[in-house]
Amino acid sequence: MISKISTGFMAGAVVLALGAGVAYAALAGDEAITARQTCMKASGKAMGTMVPMIKGEKPYDAAAIKAVLDADGAACAKWAEFWPADSMTSKTLKTRALPAIWSDPKGFEAAGGTYYKAFTELAATTDEAGFKAKFPALGAACGGCHEKFRAPAP
Amino acid sequence: MTLKIFSKRNLGALALLAVSGLLVFWVASAPHPFSAADIPAHTANLENGKLLYNIGGCISCHASEADAAVPAGGKPFTTPIGVLYPPNLTPDPETGLGKWSNVDFVNAMQKGVHPDGAHLIPAFPYTSYAHMNVEDVLDIKAYLDGLPPVKNATKPHEVIALPIIRRGLGLWQWIGLDDAKFIADAKQSASWNRGAYFVGGPGHCSECHTPRTIFMTSDTSKMFQGGPHPDGKGKVPSLRDLVGRGRYKDPKDLVLAFQNGEELGYDKMSSGGMGEVRKNIARLPEADIAAIAEYVMSLR
Repeated sequence: MISKISTGFMAGAVVLALGAGVAYAALAGDEAITARQTCMKASGKAMGTMVPMIKGEKPYDAAAIKAVLDADGAACAKWAEFWPADSMTSKTLKTRALPAIWSDPKGFEAAGGTYYKAFTELAATTDEAGFKAKFPALGAACGGCHEKFRAPAP
Repeated sequence: MTLKIFSKRNLGALALLAVSGLLVFWVASAPHPFSAADIPAHTANLENGKLLYNIGGCISCHASEADAAVPAGGKPFTTPIGVLYPPNLTPDPETGLGKWSNVDFVNAMQKGVHPDGAHLIPAFPYTSYAHMNVEDVLDIKAYLDGLPPVKNATKPHEVIALPIIRRGLGLWQWIGLDDAKFIADAKQSASWNRGAYFVGGPGHCSECHTPRTIFMTSDTSKMFQGGPHPDGKGKVPSLRDLVGRGRYKDPKDLVLAFQNGEELGYDKMSSGGMGEVRKNIARLPEADIAAIAEYVMSLR
């Protein structure tokens, strides 16, 4: 499963790297906003499962981690299509995506790449020590994008 | 009959009115700095100075372009009124604060007045620092004095009609600058009071987390109810009722969020510049972060 998701991510990364993200995008407008919000919610759910294990509130559970990361990867597989120019704002949906995503495509791409690397490395861990060692980089990578490219919650 | 608005007599009266208006403006907008005699003798506490420097997050605006950890200034700061180049805080005598006396520093921090008499643009949050104990302000100066001097002449701010704005700020300070010192609440714990002091004074949290009036002064009737983003776009969230709004469970939860941010899955402090503020706060001793959390979580 991981490999399939990784392939999806890889394909996305390649599309981004080619700078063809916007032209290639199959998703448009509100559709893209909904898709990326579904992805972010899956990421949030994955964090909700993993953080208590990091804090020691819950025991390490490799299967549960794999399940949420797989679901997250699946929900985010079309990442490269999530950001068409017509999804900057919406008449019907609320979006916290900042214009910087479109004005600083290189910075956005780099932040996405950092996240993808951290995600892949965490998903590849097989024991508690590895999981605990790799987790902070994933969290920091979430922050790296949120700091520059997401508006504060109201 | 023609209306003689511009008759010699009327013009004379208008000129008189304009001159007296300017005179009133000039007098009312004058700076009112402390004199050296107003500043108490104080033995500096460098550790306290460093703590307050981190609480204030001075580095976030005063970083140099060459080194993000050195407050030699000059990193452009874009605001709705133009691009500001925050000054060099290192003790270089020519380009930094090396020649500033204690009273010069206190006047900048608490009166918003430069040693040359010019009013400082309140993007520098002297409106909050005015609530600090003067001894704490002197400790920050002592800490800055101990930094290695860096020669870095910062560019002049790119603000239209800056001299007029600076003078006009003297008027604004009549309503915008409340220099009442922090008063402890005897009903609350010592750490709550320490947190309240940090948040309201050096931490200058209310500058962004409190709405502003039409005169761009803090709307103190709505303390910490959220405000406009200093970039000019978007909003800064309210700090009230963080528990009820599902942001944090308890003060301990908020402490962990300050210390770790998203490395521990806390994603509510990343955006809008708060990520950098969080990293400054994360440098503080845990007891001080806990004090800030205790106070903030008590806001209803």
